[in-house]
Amino acid sequence: MHYHQEAAAESWGYYAAAPPAAGVRHGISMGGADPLERVVRLASGSAVVIFSMSTCCMCHAVKRLFCGMGVNPTVYELDQDPRGKEIERALIRLLGNSPPVPVVFIGGKLVGAMDRVMASHINGTLVPLLKEAGALWL
Amino acid sequence: MASQRVGEAGFSNSGPSHHHHHNTMPYAVFRGLNPPSTSFINQEGSAFDFGELEEAIVLQGVKINNDEAKTPLYAATVRPAATLEMFPSWPTRLIQTPRGSSKSGEESTDSGSAVNTLSSRAEARLEPESPISKKSSLEPQGLEQKHLQLPNQQQQLEMANDGSRVEMPQDHQPAGGKPTTEKRRGPGSTSEKVLDAKTLRRLAQNREAARKSRLRKKAYVQQLETSRIRLTQLEQDLQRARAQGFFLGGGGAPGGNISSGAAIFDMEYARWLDDDHRHMSELRTALQAHLSDGDLRVIVDGYIAHYDEIFRLKGVAAKSDVFHLITGMWTTPAERCFLWMGGFRPSELIKMLITQLDPLTEQQVVGIYGLQHSSQQAEEALSQGLEQLQQSLIETIAGGTVNDGMHHMAVALGKLTNLEGFVRQADNLRQQTLHHLLRILTVRQVARCFLVIGEYYGRLRALSSLWASRPRETMIGDENSCQTTTDLQMVQSSQNQFANF
Repeated sequence: MHYHQEAAAESWGYYAAAPPAAGVRHGISMGGADPLERVVRLASGSAVVIFSMSTCCMCHAVKRLFCGMGVNPTVYELDQDPRGKEIERALIRLLGNSPPVPVVFIGGKLVGAMDRVMASHINGTLVPLLKEAGALWL
Repeated sequence: MASQRVGEAGFSNSGPSHHHHHNTMPYAVFRGLNPPSTSFINQEGSAFDFGELEEAIVLQGVKINNDEAKTPLYAATVRPAATLEMFPSWPTRLIQTPRGSSKSGEESTDSGSAVNTLSSRAEARLEPESPISKKSSLEPQGLEQKHLQLPNQQQQLEMANDGSRVEMPQDHQPAGGKPTTEKRRGPGSTSEKVLDAKTLRRLAQNREAARKSRLRKKAYVQQLETSRIRLTQLEQDLQRARAQGFFLGGGGAPGGNISSGAAIFDMEYARWLDDDHRHMSELRTALQAHLSDGDLRVIVDGYIAHYDEIFRLKGVAAKSDVFHLITGMWTTPAERCFLWMGGFRPSELIKMLITQLDPLTEQQVVGIYGLQHSSQQAEEALSQGLEQLQQSLIETIAGGTVNDGMHHMAVALGKLTNLEGFVRQADNLRQQTLHHLLRILTVRQVARCFLVIGEYYGRLRALSSLWASRPRETMIGDENSCQTTTDLQMVQSSQNQFANF
């Protein structure tokens, strides 16, 4: 699991997934961008991205689900991020859930909140998605 | 030990001097009825020689001769708390265990003063005469016997008391004349017919204590009676409710602490169960009638909707009373025992179904095992999330200074709201798992699946009822041996029950 916080110079090099765009090098702290855009950008930055809050227990559950499957998700703790509030609002706009977290992106594509994640796991669609995104190797 | 029991346990009196002092029961001596609370419980088989009792009655006019012998006794016994040791009056009769014989015992007290009639009885029949001892004798006997016994005993006791009261004045008269002179002499007085002030006081205290214990006994008996009546009423209500198809495990105690949301859900769940029976019988007849797949599909879809309905109801209930769901108060005890997050554990259900659903194609088997695996992973994740919630809650409640108390409570309340989310996710998992399973199976298999699930939970509920109504002995001596036999009986009877399924 990789936790991202406001860091001046984060190295994105070790992500095997989609090569980061130039503008992303500065991480979340880059200002002025539309929050939703930022969300999308962050989501594309890793194979599995989870927007979470450190105090949220359901987020803990979703993290454990992925770790239990052997996946290494990238986690953004919104309560530990100065711009976390904006992202929260963006997520609410996107999904309409309350609470807004956890939200999972796989391979840059939105999967959804906990119920969607579990439904897709039961469906058997989650694993192929993970494999496709390169987060899971057989 | 003997000294603890005034009036009944043995003091080593001089043999022939039997006092009719109301505290005295010299016969206890040679029977060794020392254990205080049980000495009047003559089930121990101690038979008093009635002849000696007669003698004592005859000698009732004789006053206490050895006060010295008595003194240590009284000093030990005049303790208000030691009610078991206070006896009201002259013991009327000693009737032994066979309760049926108490009647004949009663007869002899009918004629005049209890005391005088006793002498006419030649049988060795013993009856506990102290109210307290009667109380303690009641307990092992069981409620039924008590009620048979009580009226008799009470009558006899009353008559005994009356008799003693009649006697008492006689005792005091001779003593009344010489209180002052006797005081000086103190306990050293050896006159047989004189009661000194100390002794008088003791007598009075004993009488008081005896009266108090009689009243206490009366109150206790009345309490028992009312409780018994209430118990029978409750049992009747219970049976009536059962006949109406209510599941007691789900409803909670009538009039108990149950929120309105919970009560509403319990009612809806009971109705859902009735519907479930209906669906099941419909499905059974459909399978037996060998309907076409299409027709069967219609019925099966109806059943699926039925299951979706309970998930919806649970979702609504989770909003109003999540504790009711998560603690399983809406289910029967056996179900509650194996509850996971407010309902069944999907992987367990699948495990159970796999064994009941052969024949399955290989593809189906793979699919079902895969489903079981995924479900287990999801269950594990949710369980860990809930554990995290509990940890967080513990830290919030345990931590914090006294000043912060309300703040911490508010935070804790906020955390508790997450419970609803977990129950909802768990129900969501259950629903998804069920739906996916039905997609793997053929229509006919789905029909059988629903029947298996319905019967399984029906049996689990029946198990709860059987368990609740299994025969249990009331507490008598060899309790343990009684229980093992009843357990065996229960197992046998339950096996017979299940043979019918």
